[in-house]
Amino acid sequence: MHRKIRPFELIEPATVKEAAQLLASHGDKARVLAGGVDLVSRMMRWQIKPEYVISIRRIPGLDYIEGDGKIGLKIGAMTTLRSVELSQVIERYYAILYEAVRQIASIQVKTMSTVVGNLCVSTPASDIAPVLCVLEAKLKIEGGKEDKIVAIEDFFVDVGKTIVEPGQIVTEIQIPAVSLQTGAAFFKLKPVKASISKVNAAVMVGIKDDTCNKAKIALGSVAPKMIRAMRAEETIRGKMVDEALIIRAAEVAAEESKPITDLRSTAEYRKEMVAILVKRAIKAALERASKSEQERGKQ
Amino acid sequence: MKKELATFIVNGEQYEEAITPNMTLLELLRERLGITGTKQGCTGSGNCGACTVLVDGNPVLSCLTLAATVRGQNITTIEGLAKDNVLDPVQKAFIDYGAIQCGFCTPGMVLSARALLNRNPNPTKAEIKEALAGNLCRCTGYVKIVDAVLAAAKNSGKGG
Amino acid sequence: MKPELSVVGKRLPDISGVEKVSGAVRFISDISLPGMLIGKVLHSPYAHAGISQIDTSEAEKLRGVKAVITYKDSPQKQFTGTLMNLQCVEGIEAFGVYDRLVLEDKVRYVGDAVAAVAAIDERTAEEAIGLIKVKYEPLPAVFDEMEAMKNDAPKIHGRVQKRQADGFPGEAIVEKNIAVHVAHKPIGDVEQGFRDADYIIEESAYTSKQRQSPLETFHCIAIFDAIGKLTLWTQTQLPYLTRRMIAYIFDMPEGMIRVRNEYTGGAFGLGLAVSREPICILLAKKTGRPVKLIYTRPEDFVDRPTRSCVGPYTIKMGVKKDGTITAVERKVIANSGAYVECSALSGLIATSVANPLYRRDSYKAEIDAVYTNKLSCGAMRGFGNPEETFIREQVMDEAAEKIGMDPLEFRLKNLCQIGDPGTFGPEFPLTSIAMADCIKAGAEKIGWKEKRGKKQQGTRRRGVGVSCMAHNSGAYPAHAEISNAIIKFNEDASVTLTVFPASIGTLAFGTLAQIAAEELGLSYEDVHVVWGDTDATAFEIGSHASRTTYIIGNTVQRAAAEAKKKLLKRAATKLGVSPEELDIRNKKIFVKSKPEKIISAAEITKEGLYTRGDVEQITGTCSFRPSTSPPPYQAVFTEVEVDTETGEVEVVKMVVVNDSGISINPMVVEGQLEGGAAQGLGYALWEHPVMDNRTGEVLTTDFDTYKIASTLDIPEMELILIEQPEPTGPFGAKGVGEPGCVNQAASVANAIYDAVGIRILELPMTPEKVLKELKQNQNASK
Repeated sequence: MHRKIRPFELIEPATVKEAAQLLASHGDKARVLAGGVDLVSRMMRWQIKPEYVISIRRIPGLDYIEGDGKIGLKIGAMTTLRSVELSQVIERYYAILYEAVRQIASIQVKTMSTVVGNLCVSTPASDIAPVLCVLEAKLKIEGGKEDKIVAIEDFFVDVGKTIVEPGQIVTEIQIPAVSLQTGAAFFKLKPVKASISKVNAAVMVGIKDDTCNKAKIALGSVAPKMIRAMRAEETIRGKMVDEALIIRAAEVAAEESKPITDLRSTAEYRKEMVAILVKRAIKAALERASKSEQERGKQ
Repeated sequence: MKKELATFIVNGEQYEEAITPNMTLLELLRERLGITGTKQGCTGSGNCGACTVLVDGNPVLSCLTLAATVRGQNITTIEGLAKDNVLDPVQKAFIDYGAIQCGFCTPGMVLSARALLNRNPNPTKAEIKEALAGNLCRCTGYVKIVDAVLAAAKNSGKGG
Repeated sequence: MKPELSVVGKRLPDISGVEKVSGAVRFISDISLPGMLIGKVLHSPYAHAGISQIDTSEAEKLRGVKAVITYKDSPQKQFTGTLMNLQCVEGIEAFGVYDRLVLEDKVRYVGDAVAAVAAIDERTAEEAIGLIKVKYEPLPAVFDEMEAMKNDAPKIHGRVQKRQADGFPGEAIVEKNIAVHVAHKPIGDVEQGFRDADYIIEESAYTSKQRQSPLETFHCIAIFDAIGKLTLWTQTQLPYLTRRMIAYIFDMPEGMIRVRNEYTGGAFGLGLAVSREPICILLAKKTGRPVKLIYTRPEDFVDRPTRSCVGPYTIKMGVKKDGTITAVERKVIANSGAYVECSALSGLIATSVANPLYRRDSYKAEIDAVYTNKLSCGAMRGFGNPEETFIREQVMDEAAEKIGMDPLEFRLKNLCQIGDPGTFGPEFPLTSIAMADCIKAGAEKIGWKEKRGKKQQGTRRRGVGVSCMAHNSGAYPAHAEISNAIIKFNEDASVTLTVFPASIGTLAFGTLAQIAAEELGLSYEDVHVVWGDTDATAFEIGSHASRTTYIIGNTVQRAAAEAKKKLLKRAATKLGVSPEELDIRNKKIFVKSKPEKIISAAEITKEGLYTRGDVEQITGTCSFRPSTSPPPYQAVFTEVEVDTETGEVEVVKMVVVNDSGISINPMVVEGQLEGGAAQGLGYALWEHPVMDNRTGEVLTTDFDTYKIASTLDIPEMELILIEQPEPTGPFGAKGVGEPGCVNQAASVANAIYDAVGIRILELPMTPEKVLKELKQNQNASK
């Protein structure tokens, strides 16, 4: 029943190295401030009580979207969701990322929140996580013994926990170039439009000679973290995809999900909806894959 | 906890205030500066938007903004919209189209609408709804709010 | 013949508009007084527990803490938060129970108040709350209404105060956790009616503890002056009843209490209760300083009374093949929560609102208000009508289907007519009803004939549904309903209108100013409204039961007529004519037969104030009580699309056709209907308050978990105002405030049935529930 933030020390380092050192020395007494929406909200509600808040807002050169679909994309740690939404490059080449951000309802939240921050909060309901997963994105983590690059699907550990250790900061999202003849789609269900998802599914497929040569299926809100439905992927990878196979793959994806009942939905419903959403997403992704060659030809 | 002097620019006026890191922009405005037009409607849900202000023209939630992070930036609250006692076209339209009932969501709603018209002088109804989706209203059902913003866009695309 | 109106009926922007739109308007949450302390409440973590010990020493030692109060500081007088229980001389209506203390050594729901602090700022107060050490003795708790009535259920209340034969409160013991059992007087013989019926339909519905959820949370300020007079700023809708309740609790004379009201950020029924104001008053008393009590959004969701939650609400209806309704029997078991508040009262209203809507041969209704360890049910817009309409309108559709009649035809056949008994019986006959026009206009707008009953393929199916309702314009004769208005002329012939409706966003001041202006021949800008202070206004029940336009409007019109009479009398003397020959328009008094003979009203008003001769402050007053409660009526048609794979229901279009008589200000009326519709849709589809069934903890505590509509959730909506004049209403107007949120749930439910053949009798109608029903229906038909 609180809303007053308790005392803490705010430190505003000027470099990533400095920030990493501060995080290393203060350990779990410190939190990173980027957009602040999640952090300040939790502090208001007395859910967390960091003694040190290490702001990365004054570190220059962290707010960027570089590249395009041909050479790949890099997104900096301070890049906001709003910048992603306004990026023509992303809308064109990485449509599902654009779509996932677009349907976050509050423009204020999008203006304040960062993409990296959304991932670091590590909520299984994130729409960004499954989308980046099927786009085969990687995260650059600096600090600690050495910098490392980690695939998105290896980044999350549990609700509120990622592989980031004290002294480390995520500084960049790297999305590879878009391959020809691939298509991706993202579907979600929400209690109301201005809400986080109760279940979501992202799919990326590649088509060559009528055969699905690539398949990635990622699900959100159906486990403590985002999961890749790998058995469902195997169901369609390397096969000629027809309606029956799509439905089978969707059912397998549902079997792989481990949803719970919470305030937004029930476990049974979520499991059923995985099948529905994956089915719809595979169909839509296939349609986009077959269109993509024509569009690539136009460039 | 350290108290530090910081400069804030609110509605074009400069204020020098001693602040602590745990002070939000909303607290600075309402409790320190006595500028109470900006409201608190929830406890950090990020959904209600009653605390919306413009920072360098962009709509943000002041209850989730630490005051220290916006020092030196241009902050606009609802009190700063009218110029020389002349209401902004959005304010005027809200009045004329019955878009106000209890008035509690109005400051945040008007600012979000003003920010929209600044970047998109001729929005469609759908674009208006999207731009205001982060501002909750329990009284009006939003119908007249959308009508008002549409009318304000027709009467004058830019801010006053 | 309809007279030419120049102010009433116009879409005038509200007089508070400029203030509200520029951030200048003041809410209680904005008020800061010199020396003011902030009060915070400690809430119980247990659903049911005794308190054996409270150690406040550490909290008191915290720098900046000025007072800590516990049950030891509380007056020992039981009371009820529900102010409508005071709408009678004796001070306790039949269905009221005085079952709570300000602070007690017992808690009865998670969130109940345990103790409170006053400190120099909010931060300190929050800190201090955490330092209060409470020794709880947990007791078994019960949340289900049927479980609560069993012999071995935990006893939630022992002794309470109930109405005795003489009308005054007297002690009673609570048995089986039943707070109140009350029945309406039966009409005819329902058993015979069921025997006469060709078909009997019986359904039970479960509705939700919807939250009023105004954007401004609970705030109040209490301050005692040097002689011990209390000023209380509250978000009340019933100012003088608040004053009376505070006087009762604290054994103070009413004259030593001043209730003040600012603009309030929404109420939707929350202002009909005294909730934690007494705690604020105790803190102010103890510290000798002004205290502002603040609730956060989670506190609002956890410790302010909810919509009445009934379960089960059972309707049994008998119909003949020719469409006659032979009998309607209602049984309501109301899960009241820990304190009975409005449960029985809203049950009584709920089970009687259909009286002026459909004719039926016999009628019987009874209500049991049951205590459980849940948050109390209070008042929310509609006050039982949304629950009743949700089930009744589905039963109507089922009956129509059984006899093979179109649902609209079935309703039209049974509509009440002018002269029929009204809500409260044949002594209060109906004087206006445009329900048939509403149905016909709505059916055409939605495309009923083209869209109803269509066979479809594919996974997305569409359907249309209807719901009809009747409500009240004030609660006379069930309650004493008194209003007062004072009008005085200023030198410039403008008037000051002194009234005290609620300032919760219904724009009542503007509506009442329009009535006064029209009656007085003035313009809207010439009426200055004074409100918000029981020391400056005359007695006023306030705003509830959609009474403001009808009752206060009537009061204002009469006060204005009296002021006008006096003005014209004085002018007549000056002009040497008789007063009947005069009229006034645009502040000019003229002789009706010789309009060029004019005198300015300002000349008359000013002269009366400054003359050495016959002085007069020209005023008009009215103390008014209505003689009936003419129902507003409404039909809502919705078209839905159901995704049969996900169970999602999208409202494609909604048509609202409303009969509130003549609109004093159509823009204001539309605003009430549009806002109400958003709440009604939320009730129907997505507002889902959740409680942990093991511990009783409310889990939906902020807008991220309790979802109210955003701009993206509102469907395409069309409003039609049917303006049939109500003869007893001011300029023909009836109640406006509540109808807006009553019909949506039933209309959507009936549309879902048309689309996919399933009936949902539980709210909200989430995709999870719809899908489950669809699957069961599929399996059943295999």
